Amino acid sequence: MSGFAAFLAKEFTEIRRTWRIWVVPGILIFVGLTSPVLAKLTPALIGSITAGQPGFVIEIPDPVPADAVAQWVKNLTQMVLIAEIVAAAGLVSGERRRGTTILVLTKPVSRDAFVLAKWVSEMALVTVATLVAAAGCYLVTLAVFGTAPLGLFVETTALWLVLAAFFDALVFALSVWTGSTAAAAGIGIGGYFLVSALTVWAPARAMTPAGLLVAVTAAPSGQGFPVTFALPVTLVLTAGLLLLAVALFRRQEL
Amino acid sequence: MPVDETAPAVTIRGLVKRFGDVTALDGVDLRVPSGSVFGFLGPNGAGKTTTLRILTGLARPTSGEVFLFGMDAVKASAETRRIIGFLPDVPGFYGWMTAEETIRFTGRLFGLGGDALEERVRALLDLAGLSDVKTRVGGFSRGMRQRLGIAQALVNAPKLLMLDEPTSALDPMGRKDVLEMVASLAGRTTVFFSTHILSDVERVCDRVAILDKGRVVMSGPLDEITMPAGAHAFEIEVAEDAERLEQALRDLPWATSVERTGLTLSVTASDPIAAQRDVPAQVARLGLALVRFETREASLEDVFVGLVGGEGRPR
Repeated sequence: MSGFAAFLAKEFTEIRRTWRIWVVPGILIFVGLTSPVLAKLTPALIGSITAGQPGFVIEIPDPVPADAVAQWVKNLTQMVLIAEIVAAAGLVSGERRRGTTILVLTKPVSRDAFVLAKWVSEMALVTVATLVAAAGCYLVTLAVFGTAPLGLFVETTALWLVLAAFFDALVFALSVWTGSTAAAAGIGIGGYFLVSALTVWAPARAMTPAGLLVAVTAAPSGQGFPVTFALPVTLVLTAGLLLLAVALFRRQEL
Repeated sequence: MPVDETAPAVTIRGLVKRFGDVTALDGVDLRVPSGSVFGFLGPNGAGKTTTLRILTGLARPTSGEVFLFGMDAVKASAETRRIIGFLPDVPGFYGWMTAEETIRFTGRLFGLGGDALEERVRALLDLAGLSDVKTRVGGFSRGMRQRLGIAQALVNAPKLLMLDEPTSALDPMGRKDVLEMVASLAGRTTVFFSTHILSDVERVCDRVAILDKGRVVMSGPLDEITMPAGAHAFEIEVAEDAERLEQALRDLPWATSVERTGLTLSVTASDPIAAQRDVPAQVARLGLALVRFETREASLEDVFVGLVGGEGRPR
């Protein structure tokens, strides 16, 4: 893959010097730091709302550290995942729109290297930001609750990263195929809702990325969900989508 | 596949490119000798940019062959891209980089590094007149972007520099700067320069090809192209009523172009003998007084207009 290292180095510099360093990492760190606090305060907040309404009683159990993980996971699988889909949608099509693909691809840089370096850099950004945010979430949970389930944090965060890699690969393929940031983001978000909808169908839960979504969200409540097939299938789909993105990009005229 | 130093810089044979029902290139044949500053002329939409996109590996031909220094530019695009430099008509840059960072980045894409790269970055910044510019490329003027575009295209010391309409959107000063940069490269590298601005070609090119409707209609050394046509260009001055003579000449089959300025007509003819016979006859038929009838050296514009016609009127 000619030119991969030089182009990847450019991607990392671009991350540091543009909006890319702020958007998804900013959201991740925000939800990482606030999720435990929100989990701790939610019963009190709901209690204060219902206190002034005689005869209206909601029994909420005392918050536990697993509620912080549940809040963290809920934010990851909804707000953060959608933000990442939107952010990744413009990474290839944006270069085409600005004409920088011509600057790069008239040099000895292969199109494979171009697409893969962008995906690798984006996943590196998401992974580092997620680990920092997860560490922050763990420490705040420890501070707020006095204890924190490290294993649960590791398990849910790792599974979420696999899901993020899958959706990034999907959006990259869409971005190459459509050549449009808006179309890639729109169809990518549609794909997210489709995967979410598939969680209600048992065969899909067992065999598709929907199973990872179920496993991540069910873990904090102690209801383990096996990902024996869903995990390898998601990894294979991710690789397949990346290969599709590369193959589509190779065939395109710029 | 190695570079063939004895081969022409560019060899194109029977190049066809279709976009659906539209034929952009219709059997282009072209040979660009190594070391020349080659003007690739044509009106807008003639197929110049499409040809350059195929030469640079950005697009694929429908049929035909393209070689750069003997290397197949379609099958061995990765190799040919090592020896070319390219400036597109609207160059795109990373707005967050400075000019220095842009040139260094493009150098690294060629695998350059260390002192050799730093030395080249300094030399190219100097050539482009951007040594003291520390602002980001996002804030550059069009002229600065074009000069940076040429500088980045030279980072690998290319054997073939391809420039697509490098001056078309520049003000007179920006145009002058870019043309001086191109002229300074003569003898050092082959320059393939696409444009529709004829005066730019006359100023810096030694060879030229004219492309019209996807076909090369003329190609050769600039002086040979304009010289034979020189005998086909005439200036006719009459004492009065030049409009009637203009109309009469336009109807003659050999008149490829007729332009009137006051009482003087500039005429290009496909058949000079017929023109020398018919012009005095028409003047006499209309009862006009002939003040002057002389051949003149044709400009590239005469040749261009004669070949391409009024549709591709040059600037």
